[in-house]
Formats: sequence, structure tokens, C-alpha cells
Amino acid sequence: MTELATTPASADATASEHSMQQAINAALRTLLAEDPATLVFGEDVGRLGGVFRVTDGLQAEFGDQRVFDTPLAESGIVGLAVGLAMNGWRPVPELQFDGFAYPAVDQIVNQVARMHYRSRGAAPMPITLRLPSFGGIQAPEHHGESLEALFAHVPGLKVCSPSDPADAYRLLLQSVRADDPVVYLEPKARYWNRSPGALTEPDLPIGASRVVREGRHATLVAWGAMVHHCLRVAEFAAEDGVELEVLDLRWLKPIDTAGLTASVRRTGRVVVVHEAPLTAGLGGEIAALVQEHAFRDLRAPVQRVTGFDVPYPAGPLEPQYLPNADRVLLAVQRTLEF
Amino acid sequence: MSETAGPGGAERTFALPDLGEGLVEATVLEWLVRAGEHIERNQPLVELETSKSAVEIPSPHSGTVARLHAAEGEVLAVGAALVTFEVEASAGIVGTVPTEERPTRRVRLRPPSE
Repeated sequence: MTELATTPASADATASEHSMQQAINAALRTLLAEDPATLVFGEDVGRLGGVFRVTDGLQAEFGDQRVFDTPLAESGIVGLAVGLAMNGWRPVPELQFDGFAYPAVDQIVNQVARMHYRSRGAAPMPITLRLPSFGGIQAPEHHGESLEALFAHVPGLKVCSPSDPADAYRLLLQSVRADDPVVYLEPKARYWNRSPGALTEPDLPIGASRVVREGRHATLVAWGAMVHHCLRVAEFAAEDGVELEVLDLRWLKPIDTAGLTASVRRTGRVVVVHEAPLTAGLGGEIAALVQEHAFRDLRAPVQRVTGFDVPYPAGPLEPQYLPNADRVLLAVQRTLEF
Repeated sequence: MSETAGPGGAERTFALPDLGEGLVEATVLEWLVRAGEHIERNQPLVELETSKSAVEIPSPHSGTVARLHAAEGEVLAVGAALVTFEVEASAGIVGTVPTEERPTRRVRLRPPSE
């Protein structure tokens, strides 16, 4: 255990350094304050303040009518959000962990994603489903899943994942203010890391990626905790004289095809890095988009460095499962040598 | 494990676990931590002696040791309080905070000949 964040209740949107915990807490505070229709609910989000302290202090500040605990029943949590949304509320439910979204898939897929369509626009679903996601914290089973491909596959849902505190703040404001349902995947492994950057209003449209490091030899495409990892791999590559660009995809649906293509035009080589298993993961979708839109700019086949096609492993095996620096570097080398 | 949530953190008391083979008590041989000490999960906590063997018990979580509930030489029943921790509220309840060490690598890249 290294640095420990101070309690998120002390988060101040004007301070220059935050953890992602604090940034998301501050975003929820901003959203609850600006719109009385916004509601925050889920298991332990009220009195306890969330198992990751992300909702710390919100119930005390906004009351137990707007920030409240639910029974341990994920399908019920999301079903409640659907009913509230149909009655004019703006629900921001939390499912405590990625793996516990599975019991709610019926509500998410059959109701949240298609109610707007089914009602011919009469019942929009301005729901933002907060989902602590991905691995890297040595948690037990069901606490390290990557669900982005599952939800990106469902028509009607938008999916995003922030990689740093300031962007977590912006993406959450944008997700909750949107009248469409958004699945907001919070990278648990990055909750505690503090980074500079004031918490500011969203400055990019929904669906926009961003280049977080410029380079000319190859592009690493990542999201969530893998962005930070790719930035460190890019430092290694720089020691070897290879300049890697790192593209933080941010939105996993819609995917920023223009941003992706622009980066490929600069570098000609692409390595997608994700924690989720390989098969039918988003790496395949990204590879398809790149070859459709930038085929002539490619100097090598798109590489994928991912988790394996196995259930997410128990804590001690995480380092063997998650894409490590060597696996990413080998993939980069394959594109350089092609 | 009992837990008392407080505003800034939580206290958790770790009871003497069932050490197997029907053993109902153990003697505290040596404490490997002190009150006030910050310890990591799985760090050796205490050495116990049962009628079968001496065993080292690892800490079930990271936190600060608030109180040791038995003196060295004392006999404790399974289920009796062993140690109370103060765990950091901000760290969350499930999982561990990842370390920020720089990763290592063995692969070296050869830049493309342009």
C-alpha cells in the first residue's frame, strides 16, 4: 500500500490535485447540486459512503431522499432507475462491482437500453450506471471484470471509462447530463492515485478520444487503468529510441473513429491494450475500424495485448493476467519489424 | 470479524481463527507487531503455539494496529479477540491499493530503420 487519499469529503473542485475517488465524488456533488432531479443510490452508497468512499458525505449533504441505500439486489437497483427515469428523475445508480452487473443485465439490456426506442422517444432514460470496474486491486472473484465489450454491443447504451481524475470529473458530468443511458466504468486500480489538474467542465464532445502522449512510431490505444500503464510503456520505448503515441479512447461506445484514424495516419502502427479477454473484446472492433478507415496508412497488422480467455484470476495471479510492459513492448516490436 | 464504522475510518477486530484439527485454543508466543504500528496485509502478525505446532498468523488487512488483546504467554480460545485494527476508510473495503512502483521490463525495442 502506498499513498492513501484523504477522505473524498474534503474534495474541492478548485484544488489542483485530486484522486479519482475525490474527483468522482466532486462530480456527483456538482450534479446533485445543479439538478434536483438527480438521484444517487445503490448498495452502501448512503450511510457508508460507498465501499470505495466515492459517495462519501453525499447523503449528509443532500439528504436520504436523494442519496440512498438500496437492498443488495442489482436487478432491483437498475429497475428502480428505469421507473424513476420514466417519471422525470435523473438516476445515477451504482452497482458495487463489475461482476455484480451480471444480475442486472436483464434490466440494463431489456429496459434501460431500449425504453427510449420502445416508447418512440416518449421515455428517455437519462441513467448513468456507475460501475467500479476492471482489475488490479487483488480483489476476490467477481471484482475484476471488464464489461465494456458486453455493454458496447447493446444498442442504446453509451459506454465510457476515464483514465485520470480530471477526466473522470468531466466524463461523469457529461454522462449524467446526457439524456441517453451511459455505462460509466470506473477503473478501481486508479481510484487512489492523485494527479494534478483542476476539475473543470467537459471540453470534448461525447465520443471524443484524446492523445495523452504524442509519438510517431506506433499508437497504443487504451482506456481506464491501461492508459496509465501504456504511458509507462511509452517511457520504456523512449529509452530505446521508439516514440509511442498513447490514445486514451475514453468512449468505448461510440468509438472515436476519426481520432483513431488520425493517430494511425501519424504512426502507421497500432497496438490495442485492454484488460478484457481477447476473444470478441473491443480490440477486435478497433482493429476492424482501423483497417476499414486507414488501411493504406497501416504499416503492420493491428496488434492486441489483452487479458486471456479465462475467468479473471484470483489476486496473486493478476500480474500474469494483466498486460505487462513486456507483452506490450513485444507487440510494438512486431509492428516495427513487420 | 467485527467492524465499527467511524467517520474517518473503521475499527476491525480480528478474532483467533480456527487453526484446524479441532484445536480450541492457542498460546500467544510472540507478537510480531506493536500497537500503533502500520502493517500491510499478509504481514506476519503473531506467532501462536497450539498443542500441535507453532504457527505464524498473517494480517488479514492493511491498517494500523490499535490494540493487542492478549499478552505473550496468554492462552486464547478460538473466537476470542486477537487484535483490533484501524483500517483506512479511504482505501475502500475490498481489495488493496496498488503500489505505484515503476514496472520492470526485459524487452528492448529496436527502432525502425526509416
